[in-house]
Amino acid sequence: MMDLSPETRKKITQLTAKYPQKQAALLPVLHLIQNEMGYIPQEAEIWVAELLGLQPVRVKEVITFYTMFLEKPIGRYHLQVCTNLSCTLAGAEHILNYLIKKLGIKPGETTADGRFTLTTVECLGACEQAPCMMINFDYYGNLTPEKIDEILDGLE
Amino acid sequence: MVKITIDGRQVEVKEGMTILQAAESIGIEIPHLCFHPAFPPEGSCRLCLVEIEGRPKLELACSTIVQEGMTISTQSETVRQARRSVLEFLLAEHPLDCPICDKAGNCQLQDYYQEYGLFDSQFKENKERKSKKVALGKNLILDRERCILCTRCVRFLKEITRTGELGVFQRGLRSEIDYFPGQPVDNNYSGNLAELCPVGAITDKDFRFQTRSWFLQSGPSICPHCSRACSIYIDYHVGFPRVELDKYVYRIRARENPEINDYWICDFGRYNYAYLEKKRATKVLVRENGQAQEGDWDSQIERLVKKIKEFYLKKKTNRIGLVLHSALTNEELYLAKKIFQEDLPEVNIFLIDPPEGEGDNWLLTPSRTPNLKGLELIGLQPQKFPPEKPLTELEILIIFAYLPHGEDQYNQLRSLLEKSHFSVLFTAHQTALMNQVDVVFPTTLLAEKEGSVVNVEEKLQKFPAALTPPGTARSEREILLTLGRGLGINFSFYRQLKTPAAVFDQLSQDISYFRGSK
Repeated sequence: MMDLSPETRKKITQLTAKYPQKQAALLPVLHLIQNEMGYIPQEAEIWVAELLGLQPVRVKEVITFYTMFLEKPIGRYHLQVCTNLSCTLAGAEHILNYLIKKLGIKPGETTADGRFTLTTVECLGACEQAPCMMINFDYYGNLTPEKIDEILDGLE
Repeated sequence: MVKITIDGRQVEVKEGMTILQAAESIGIEIPHLCFHPAFPPEGSCRLCLVEIEGRPKLELACSTIVQEGMTISTQSETVRQARRSVLEFLLAEHPLDCPICDKAGNCQLQDYYQEYGLFDSQFKENKERKSKKVALGKNLILDRERCILCTRCVRFLKEITRTGELGVFQRGLRSEIDYFPGQPVDNNYSGNLAELCPVGAITDKDFRFQTRSWFLQSGPSICPHCSRACSIYIDYHVGFPRVELDKYVYRIRARENPEINDYWICDFGRYNYAYLEKKRATKVLVRENGQAQEGDWDSQIERLVKKIKEFYLKKKTNRIGLVLHSALTNEELYLAKKIFQEDLPEVNIFLIDPPEGEGDNWLLTPSRTPNLKGLELIGLQPQKFPPEKPLTELEILIIFAYLPHGEDQYNQLRSLLEKSHFSVLFTAHQTALMNQVDVVFPTTLLAEKEGSVVNVEEKLQKFPAALTPPGTARSEREILLTLGRGLGINFSFYRQLKTPAAVFDQLSQDISYFRGSK
């Protein structure tokens, strides 16, 4: 059985009741699970599939299609560096390389202490402050190596 | 009806047809990979683009419905150029390992490139490397480099078998076909995926690297493994240019038949083909003083005829036993009825078929022979087996045996043999029974016969002989005709039945079900 808090369970029940076809609740249900667990483990895929009357393979299709659903746990801080056009023109490559060097990990990897996960993402919709990145749900723009040091030092 | 113009030809087509179907109906082929008539259009391969007058862009022929007055061009320079571009993108990541690809020779991608491509790729980058042998299930191997993501396999499993094992994971460049961990493609129709794949991405483990498809010839036949009697092709290798082959039949494929099996066959029928070659009986064997010796057809048949005649003249035909099975054609069963139920009265006729298996609620039926319905319609009335009252001794026992799956019928046959003074066995396979009968005659299998069967839904199918019989094997039709003529009770009747078609004509005059069927 899935290890979910009563609150999340309650929300999921409410959600599935809301749609004429319960399969339609797939995305919001997955979000709820990821919010609580930090990622979506395989047992959760099977659980959701059963709950919504789908096959597990259909759930996996959705999870792997959307890059923001995570199949594996990530570090405490998720550094999402934009490498799309505006940011690249403004030097995103240097920012990324700096982070790679500083943290000693490649994009997609997590530091050994479990603090940081580095990924590259497409446009974050904040071109006015290119180059930019998101750390978990917060935006950081006009990045320079110095600013990155400052930001990372400021994190717990 | 809708009036449209395709490539300058004015035609009237049914309303609601797609451009692709409309073109096909007048013999114009529009290249396509992802579209398959069994599913709704997907529109993912982009190869079926056509030009429609008055529309700014090219449109997909597979999903655009015809409209009154449409003028469509399938061969204009713009269209051909678009096809080239689509092919260039499809081939950007497609490996050129055609020399070792099972699909080569009947690959649509290959054919379309030959017709519309022939370009130097503008892509200078290395191709993506992906996994080349993913086991998708017990019969299938997926090569992700060759996959063009047409999703025919995914749609087949979603819409036809409704088992839905496969899905498209990831997206964009990283998209790939996969199954949920621990739940591979494991249904009785998995073999269809290898046939359905328009390129060589999904290959059949059974056929993988066995031969090149252009060496194979395809014989249309029907599947004898259950009462559905699906239409099939038997792909066989005639030996040239490699004369010394240890294999003759390489694979079974579905033959399109909307009446019975659409485009599909089950794995039970697809992979059970070894019986066509393994342990075949090839010569007449005569047992004398416990020793089996090779005999010749004509003299041994004559010996049998003489024996039967003897008991016919003594009016003791109730001492003759005949064993039949329902993997015989209508023509053969009809002749058997004429001889053993009409010419010779009171013959003990038994039906001994392979034991029933499990059905799957779709194509595969529990009964494991193709012509049980035909036997009923023709009006053969076999006794129950084992018989209700103990059987008296039989003077002659004539067995037509069908034993491709196991030896369950042996015991039944053995109990009959113990009560018989003279016994002959007509069999396509070497069996343990061969030592217990007086004469063994080698016969042909359905794949080597011309004839017809009636399936479980009372649908009649005629088929030609697909394969050449081994050794001196003769078909049961020829054998029964020889018997009928030899007995001389109704000589002129059997003399005029020279071909399977002639037997069928006679049959359709006699039995109303067969009337009017061509």
